[in-house]
Amino acid sequence: MVTPAVAHIGLWTALPVLATFALSLTDYNIFDAPRWIGIDNYIQIWNDPTFRLATWNTVVYTFWTVPVSMAIAMIIAVALNQNLWLRTWYRTAFFLPQVTATVAIAMVWLWIYNPQQGLLNAALSVIGIPGQAWLANPDWSLWAVILVGAWQGIGIKMLIYIAALQNVDNSLYEAASVDGASVVRKFFAITLPMLKPATFFVLVISIIGAFQVFDQIYVLTDGGPANATTMMTYEVYRSAFQNFQMGLASAQSVCLFAFLLVMTLISRRATRGDDE
Amino acid sequence: MSTTRMQPVTTPAEAPRPRSRRRRPWKGRLLLNVILSIGAFTMVIPFLWMIATSLKSPAELAQFPPTLLPQVWQWSNYSEALQAAPFHLYFRNSFLISAGHTIITLVLGSMAGYALARIPFRGREWVFMGFVAMLMIPTYTKIVPQFLLVKFMPLFGGNDIFGQGGTGWLNTWWALIIPGGLSATAIFLFRQFYLSLPRELEEAARLDGLNEFRIYAQIYTPLIKPALATVALLTFQESWNNFLWPLLVTTRDDLRVIQVGLAVFQQLDSTSWHYLMAGTTLATVPMVVLFLFCQKYFIQGFTHAGIK
Repeated sequence: MVTPAVAHIGLWTALPVLATFALSLTDYNIFDAPRWIGIDNYIQIWNDPTFRLATWNTVVYTFWTVPVSMAIAMIIAVALNQNLWLRTWYRTAFFLPQVTATVAIAMVWLWIYNPQQGLLNAALSVIGIPGQAWLANPDWSLWAVILVGAWQGIGIKMLIYIAALQNVDNSLYEAASVDGASVVRKFFAITLPMLKPATFFVLVISIIGAFQVFDQIYVLTDGGPANATTMMTYEVYRSAFQNFQMGLASAQSVCLFAFLLVMTLISRRATRGDDE
Repeated sequence: MSTTRMQPVTTPAEAPRPRSRRRRPWKGRLLLNVILSIGAFTMVIPFLWMIATSLKSPAELAQFPPTLLPQVWQWSNYSEALQAAPFHLYFRNSFLISAGHTIITLVLGSMAGYALARIPFRGREWVFMGFVAMLMIPTYTKIVPQFLLVKFMPLFGGNDIFGQGGTGWLNTWWALIIPGGLSATAIFLFRQFYLSLPRELEEAARLDGLNEFRIYAQIYTPLIKPALATVALLTFQESWNNFLWPLLVTTRDDLRVIQVGLAVFQQLDSTSWHYLMAGTTLATVPMVVLFLFCQKYFIQGFTHAGIK
C-alpha cells in the first residue's frame, strides 16, 4: 500500500534532490550533454557579487520577517488568549493573508505601492509625508518587500502561539498572582519559557519559508531595482530558466539548502541550549 | 512550498474556552480591544482596497488622492475583465489541478500513512525515515531536475524512448497534475492520524476475516474523516496558490492557472488596475470563502504542519 507513494516521492523528490547535487558539478544548458566541471560552479558562485547580494538580501528579509514578526505574533497571541469579545474575529483577520495566494496578494500590494495612485502615498500625504516610488527606489524596495512578507506571515506564527498558550497550566499564573507578580513579570517568567518549544517550531518553519521567498519578488520587483531585492531563489530561477545554466542553478540551490540546514541547526541550539 | 514538522504542537485547534484569568480592569480591556481592532483592520485593508478598486471606473482610479469607496459601483468591470483575459478559463484550470492534487494526495497519502502506521513490514523504519528526510527538502533544491524530468519524459510530446527530440510533458496536464500530486508532509500527517487510533479495532476486524485493504478502507479511514478534511483543504489551498511550477511547465494560454494568468495579465497590461483587481478578487475569493467556512480544519492543519 505504500508502494505508489514511495514511487511518487522517489521519482519526484528523492531523485531530483540527488540529481541536483550531481548537476551542480556540471556545465549543462539542456541542449548539449552535461559536461563535468568539478566545483567550478561553486567557485563561480563564491566570486559572484550578485549571488552574494542575493544571499545578503535573503538574510535581511528573513531577519525582519521571522524574529521580528514572531515577537509581534507572540504579543498578539498573548492578547488574544484573554477572554475577549470578538476574539475569533481578530484571529480570522490576522490569519486571512496566510490562506490567500502570494501572487494575488502581491498584486494588491503592487497597486498599494503605486507611486501615482497608490493607497500608501495617499495615506502618507494626509499626514504630510511626501510619497515615494517604493518599489523603484533601491533604498526602499527591500523594505517594501519585507513589509508584504511580514504582513502575510504573521497569521501562522500567531496561530501556533495561540495553540501553545492553551497548553500552559493556568495554576502557574494563579500562583504568580498570589505572590503579587505583575503582568510583565508573569509574561517573562511564565509565558515566555513555556512557549519555548513552540518558538523553536515557529522559528524553523518560518526560516524555511522566508528563505524560499519568490512569488512576491517575481510580481513586485523582478529582483530589482539594480538587484536590490533579488533573493537566492530568484537567482536559481534566473540561472536555470532565463539563462539555461542548469548546473550553476543546481549549485546555487545546493547553497540554499546548506544555508537552511545550518539555520535549522543553529535555531535548535539557540532555543534548546539551556534545557539540556 | 516546503513544509516541515519538527515536533508535535499537539493542541486542540479550537480552544474549548479561553482561560478564565482574573478579569482585567475595563480600561485595560478597552485599550486592548482598540489596539487589536486597529491591528486586525490593518490586516484586512489590502483586501478591502482590492475589492474597492475592482469596482471603480478608470477615470476614478486616475484621481489623486484616491476615493475610498467607488463613486459608481462598476459591476461591469468583472464581465469586462473576463473579456480582457480568460480568467474563467484560468479559474477552471486552477480548480481542476487543485482537485486532482487533492484526490491523489487523499488516496495515495492515506494508503501510505496507514501502511506506515499500522502494517508491520520489512524496512518500514527505513521507508519512514526516508519520508521524514524528504520533509526537509526545499522546493528549490529539486525544481531544476523536476523540470528536466518533465522535459525529457520518454515517449511523450514527441520524445523518443530516451526522452530526446520533443517537449515531453511540458505544456500538458500531466506536468501540472502528477509531480505536485503528493507530498511527504501529507503522508506524515496521515501516519500521525492513523497512529492515534486504537489497535483493538484492527484485531477485531482481523478476527472477522477482513483483509488489510478492507481494514484500511472500511474500518480506519472512516474514523479519520476530520483528518481527511484537514489534509484535503491544505492540499487544495496550496495547489490553488502555487505559482512557480505552473509558470515553468506551461506557456499555453489554455493551460494557464489563475496565479500565472494574473502575473501575465499584469505584464501585458500594467494600467488596467480595475480589471487586474477584479481578476485578483476572483483568485482570492475561493480560498477566503473556503477558509471562513472550514476554519476549524484549516487551523488544525496549519498548527500541525506549519505550512509556509
